[in-house]
Amino acid sequence: MPDPATSIPLILATLASGVVFILAARRVRRPSDNAAPLWPLHAILGAITLLCAGLFAYRIAVVHKAWVPVQAHVDGLLLIALLLAPAILYIQTRPRLFGLSLFAMPLLSLILAWGVCATLWTYRPFQLDSFAPAWSVFHLAVTYFGLLGCGLGAAGGAMYLFVQGRLKSKAGLGQVNPMASLETLETLIVRAATLGFVLLTLSLISGLIMVTQSDQATSLGSDWWGSPKVWLAGSAWVVYALLINVRSFSTFRGRRAAWLAIAGLVLVLATYGAVEAIDRPEPDASDPLSLETNPEEAD
Amino acid sequence: MRLMMLGFNHRTAPLELREALAFDGDQAAGAIHALREAYPASECILLSTCNRTELYVARPIHDPPTIEELRTFIVQRTGAKADDVQSASIHREQEAAATHLFRVSAGLDSMVLGEPQVLGQVKRAYELADQCDAVGPVLHRLFQGAITASKNVRNQTGIDQGRTSVSSVAVAFARNIFDHFGDKTVVAIGAGEMVKAALASLRRESPRRLLLINRTHQRAIDLAQQLELTGEQHGARAWEDMDSLLVEADILVSCTGANEPIVTAERFKPLLKKRRGRPLFMLDLALPRDLDPQIGTLRNVYLYNLDDLQQAVESTESGRRELVDECEQLLQGHIDRCMGEIRHRDVGRLVKQLRQRLHDIAQEEQGRTAKKLAALNGHSTEQALQDLLAQHNHRVVNKILHLPLSQLDRTDPDASLGFYAAALRRLFDLHDQADMPADESDPV
Repeated sequence: MPDPATSIPLILATLASGVVFILAARRVRRPSDNAAPLWPLHAILGAITLLCAGLFAYRIAVVHKAWVPVQAHVDGLLLIALLLAPAILYIQTRPRLFGLSLFAMPLLSLILAWGVCATLWTYRPFQLDSFAPAWSVFHLAVTYFGLLGCGLGAAGGAMYLFVQGRLKSKAGLGQVNPMASLETLETLIVRAATLGFVLLTLSLISGLIMVTQSDQATSLGSDWWGSPKVWLAGSAWVVYALLINVRSFSTFRGRRAAWLAIAGLVLVLATYGAVEAIDRPEPDASDPLSLETNPEEAD
Repeated sequence: MRLMMLGFNHRTAPLELREALAFDGDQAAGAIHALREAYPASECILLSTCNRTELYVARPIHDPPTIEELRTFIVQRTGAKADDVQSASIHREQEAAATHLFRVSAGLDSMVLGEPQVLGQVKRAYELADQCDAVGPVLHRLFQGAITASKNVRNQTGIDQGRTSVSSVAVAFARNIFDHFGDKTVVAIGAGEMVKAALASLRRESPRRLLLINRTHQRAIDLAQQLELTGEQHGARAWEDMDSLLVEADILVSCTGANEPIVTAERFKPLLKKRRGRPLFMLDLALPRDLDPQIGTLRNVYLYNLDDLQQAVESTESGRRELVDECEQLLQGHIDRCMGEIRHRDVGRLVKQLRQRLHDIAQEEQGRTAKKLAALNGHSTEQALQDLLAQHNHRVVNKILHLPLSQLDRTDPDASLGFYAAALRRLFDLHDQADMPADESDPV
């Protein structure tokens, strides 16, 4: 149910992430600003991390009052934000990856804003007690962590394209380079995509186990192979399967790998969006195994 | 002697014009010989580097060439457009020319402030002109002074410390693309000073392979030995291996004296596929350019040239800018001493000429007086001898004063009467007319 104690801090965190993005963008656009101290960015990011951690703990202890931490879509988004914010904070302190925060911050803002929507307008709890709760928790966890990997890979890809564009156009020559090298970014893309791929694979496997082991039809219907969710999730998996092998396929290096990382994230997000958009039969209200209320399983 | 400098550099001329005005070793020697042939009384040194072409000339004060004649000479030797040469050239004379050379040698006028390579280039230009027998006492003193001053200023201020060379900026460029160099192959084309400096900088990054090629293979071998590039992974390769090296290279530095691009886009495109998408950082330090600019538009190729480096270094030298004032103060002392010596030497020659002229007059009059003395044939009275001496003195004084006093002829409209009058008063310690006795007759 909508909970102001969750949504208001989430709104504040979203706004704060926007401020960090603006500050990071200023440092990239105007290298003279690089002399300015970094602590305001670190402080705001730290505050976002603490806010997310506090909210997550609050929802476990006060809202759910249960050991299962992820009981609604907003909890999953909070978990991703909680992981992503310190990851960006860490990146911010690494000279070799400096500048990546600019490209990762929009992702954090998106997730937090998504969390706001999930508390205010589209709040739906998971029915974890209905079917194989352990599998559900595992499925959700690997999906969210996989999404985090995809997000970092896409951020790295966007930054790769940006840095390459600057190098090709010879923009800002001689200015103190606030960006990571292309080689570092390519490594990041491949590593993040590998993490995302492994976790998405686990997500797919656990999802398959859930739909095949169930005695009754799930929300995907009896003909689950033909469902868009399965096809789109499969497509995203194939993209990442290609991406993590970029080193083997030389033509998928550099710029192409960057585009592919972005395409992978877009596909993952599109999977969720498409599944939500496509009309599906109303689940049987008496069916306790329905996954209809699990939109975040869009893997 | 009058000292002049006509020049073009990275601030005044675009890359294309600098390419047209660049002289390689043989061309520079040819130009020096031609200039000496046209103006035998002049001394000249031609400094041609990646970023500048400068002609230093010392000529007798009233002799050619003028600056305009030097411009025409450059146009004729290079084939550049006269209008371009006119608009892009700078010229300096006397102290300003000396100051310019001292600043250039100290790296204060370089693209990368304080860069050390330019000093070697100044030395080589001086040596080349000396070999062509085009250097006289003025330019000898000037260039030796500039080289010494440059070393002193660098030692005292440390302006050449840190990232001051084109090569060190190049390494910074490469870091935008590569995170580390341990698995990279560096290929250098050419065996000159710039390549040597670039390889020395890149070597500090410990690349996996460091290879160099040159048309004259022996020079590549010599440079490899100088840089102690030994073993299978490093060293000189044959010029014919160029294509395979273009495939293997991760970083390519080129600086040769070729007049046409060595690597054209047509030559490089077929090699891209063999590179399997690996990024290639190319640095063209040559003028004229060695690498076809079209190569820079190809995928995964990052090509930079001297103008790009200039743009890069302009914003990174603020720290060293603070040292410029200190350097210029130190240089000024050297310039004053050098120009003082050149002027002193000029005055010394002048005094010698004057003394010789007066001796000639005295000798001539001594001969005349001796003849008159002989004509008296022993019947001379004291009065006759005194008259003879008075006539002798009168003629000597008149002859000596004839030329300088003729400059004071009031009918000559070009005569700088005030200047000459003041000079005479000062040189002969004369007083104003008001202080002179009333019965003194006008010597003029």
